[in-house]
Amino acid sequence: MTSSAAAIPAIHQPAERRALWRSILIHALLIGASILMLYPLLWMLSGSVRPQDEIFGSSSLLPSSISFDGFVRGWSGLQVSFGKFFLNSLIIAVLATIGNVVGCSITAFAFARLDFRGRNFWFALMLGTLMLPYHVTLIPQYILFLQIGWVNTFLPLIVPKYLATDAFFIFLMVQFFRGIPRELDEAAMMDGCSPWRIYWKIMLPLSLPVLATAAIFSFIWTWDDFFGPLIYLNDINTYTIQLGLRSFVDSTGQSDWSGLFAMSTLSLIPVFLFFLFFQRLLIEGIATTGLKR
Amino acid sequence: MATRIELRQIVKSYGTLQAIHGIDLTIEPGEFTVFVGPSGCGKSTLLRMIAGLEEISGGDLFIDADRMNGVPASKRGIAMVFQSYALYPHMSVYKNLAFGLETAGYKRAEIDQRVAQAADILQIQHLLQRRPKALSGGQRQRVAIGRAIVREPKIFLFDEPLSNLDAELRVQMRLEIAKLHQTLGNTMIYVTHDQVEAMTMADKIVVLRDGRVMQVGAPLDLYNRPANQFVAGFLGSPKMNFLPARLDSAASGGHTISVAGRTLDLGRRLAVTGPDEALMMGVRPEHVVLGENAGPASLGLARVQHVEQLGGETILHTALDQGDVLTVSSAGQLAIRPGSMVPLGLDPAFCHLFGADGRVL
Repeated sequence: MTSSAAAIPAIHQPAERRALWRSILIHALLIGASILMLYPLLWMLSGSVRPQDEIFGSSSLLPSSISFDGFVRGWSGLQVSFGKFFLNSLIIAVLATIGNVVGCSITAFAFARLDFRGRNFWFALMLGTLMLPYHVTLIPQYILFLQIGWVNTFLPLIVPKYLATDAFFIFLMVQFFRGIPRELDEAAMMDGCSPWRIYWKIMLPLSLPVLATAAIFSFIWTWDDFFGPLIYLNDINTYTIQLGLRSFVDSTGQSDWSGLFAMSTLSLIPVFLFFLFFQRLLIEGIATTGLKR
Repeated sequence: MATRIELRQIVKSYGTLQAIHGIDLTIEPGEFTVFVGPSGCGKSTLLRMIAGLEEISGGDLFIDADRMNGVPASKRGIAMVFQSYALYPHMSVYKNLAFGLETAGYKRAEIDQRVAQAADILQIQHLLQRRPKALSGGQRQRVAIGRAIVREPKIFLFDEPLSNLDAELRVQMRLEIAKLHQTLGNTMIYVTHDQVEAMTMADKIVVLRDGRVMQVGAPLDLYNRPANQFVAGFLGSPKMNFLPARLDSAASGGHTISVAGRTLDLGRRLAVTGPDEALMMGVRPEHVVLGENAGPASLGLARVQHVEQLGGETILHTALDQGDVLTVSSAGQLAIRPGSMVPLGLDPAFCHLFGADGRVL
C-alpha cells in the first residue's frame, strides 16, 4: 500500500514537470510573437508623444519626455483641420458599411433562397470576381466615374457598395443563410410572407452574427483604404484620414512625424470602438433553437 | 366551415424522376385523414403540394370548388404544423402566434384576442413571453399548433408533428390533437410513418408506397380487409405473418391450400386462375392460437425462439418445422420459455391470401 502510494508521485512528477516546461515554452513563444507584432504599434504610440528629434534617434519604446504637442500640431497643422478628415472618413465608412451589409445581404438572400433562371451560373460568375484584382477594374471604373462627374466626390467610394460588389461578403452570407432551416421560410410563407418580408423579418434578425462580421470588416477596410480615396479625391476638403496622414509627409520640405503619429493614433480609435461594439453581436448571435434538430 | 379537398391525377416530378404517380383522392369536409407509409413514399411531398409549398407537376388540386394549383400557400386557407415546429427563434411565443395575423394586417385588438384564445385552448398562456429556446419539446409543439389555430384556417396540415417527442408525450399530444379536431371540426391531414398514430387518430387512412396510393379507407377496414400484401404488412403491430402457400384444389365448398407442410381448407373460393399457383398467406399474430385443438386448423408444433412479455399480452416468436417463422400474440402473461415446443392453430376465416402480384384474393 505504502509503496504504491509512494510510486504514484514518482510516476506523475516528471509528467507534471514536462507539462510545466511545455507551458512556459509555449507562453514564451506567444509573448515573443505578440511583442514582435505589437512593436510597430507601440513604437507609433510612443512616437506620438515623444520629442520630434528622438523619433528616429532611439529604438527604445520609452520616450525621454512626454509631450502632447504632436496632437495639437497634427490636428490643426494642415490647411484643413484634421476633424474634417475624420468626418469625411466617417461618412464614407458608415455609408459604405451600410451599403455593403444591405446590398450583400439582399443578394445573398436571392442566391440562397430564391429560385431564378441561371442562379448557379450567376453565383459562379460572382464568385469569379473574387479572383479579379482591384487594379484590373480600376481604370475602366475611373473612366466611368469621370464621365458621370463623380470624381472628387464621395460617390465612387460609396455607391458601388449598395450594388453588392463585394463577392466575399455575399459568399459569406449565402453560406450562413443556407444554414438557417428552410422550414422557417416555409412557415413564414404559410403565414403570408412575401420573399421581401421573409428577408426582413426572418432572415436578417437570425443573421446578426454574419451581418456584424460583414459590418466590422467593411468598416475597417473602408476606414483604412488609402488607394480608393487617393484615386478619386483631389480636393483637400474631401480627403479622408488616410490621405490626411500622407499630407504630413512632405517629400520636398520638412515632415511632421510626431503630428503624423499622433493623428495615426487618433485614427485607430473609431476602428477600435466599432470593433468593440459589433464584436458583442458576434458573440450574442441568436442561436436557431426554435427548431428541434 | 369544414372544407372538402379533392386531388385529381396529382403528379410530382423532379426532372425525369416521378415521385408521385397520378393520385386521385377525396377528403370530405371535417375528416381527419392520415397519410401513412414508409420513408420516401411521397406522403410529405403530397402534403406539401396541398399546402402550396411544392409545385404540382400535373393534375388538379381542388379545395371546395376552387382549383388551387397556382394559388400561393397563404391564400389557400391552410395552416401547417411542421415536423421541426419551425418556430421563429428570435420571437417570443406571443410574437410567433401573432406574426401571421400581423402579416395579414389584423388590428392589434383582434390579434390579442385570437392569441389569447389559442393560448387558452392549448394552455400556454404562461409561456407567451418566452422564447422558443426556453420551451420543452411538448411546449414547442403546442406553440406550433397554436400558430396554426390563430389563423383560423379551413384546413390543418400536420407533417409528422410528434416524431420529435418522447413516447409518453407523443401519446398525450396524440390525444390532444384528436380532441382539437373534435373541438374545431376542421378538415385535417396528418402525415406520419407511425401506423399506431394512423390507426388511433384517423377517420380515413391513406396508405402510400413509392408515390402511389395502396389503399384508402377507415382504419379498421384497412386492418381487417387489406387490399394488398403491403397494406396488410404495414398496418398492425406486431406485423402480420406471411407464409408461402400453394393452391391445391377447388372442392365444392372452397379452395384448399398447402401451407407450412399442411393442407388448409379455406372454406371459400379464391379468385385464382388455376391450381399450383404460388400464393402468400397472411395471418395476424393475434389470430394464431396456442393449444392442441386450438382453432379449426392445426399448424403443428413450433419451437419458441423468443418471448416478449408486455404485461397485458405475451408475444412469442416461433419457428415451424419447415423453418417458417411465425409471431404469435396472446392475451395475458404466459409462462413459456424460449426453446419449448408449443402447438399452434388458426382459423382460416382470419387468413388473408395474396397473389403473386401482392393483391388480395
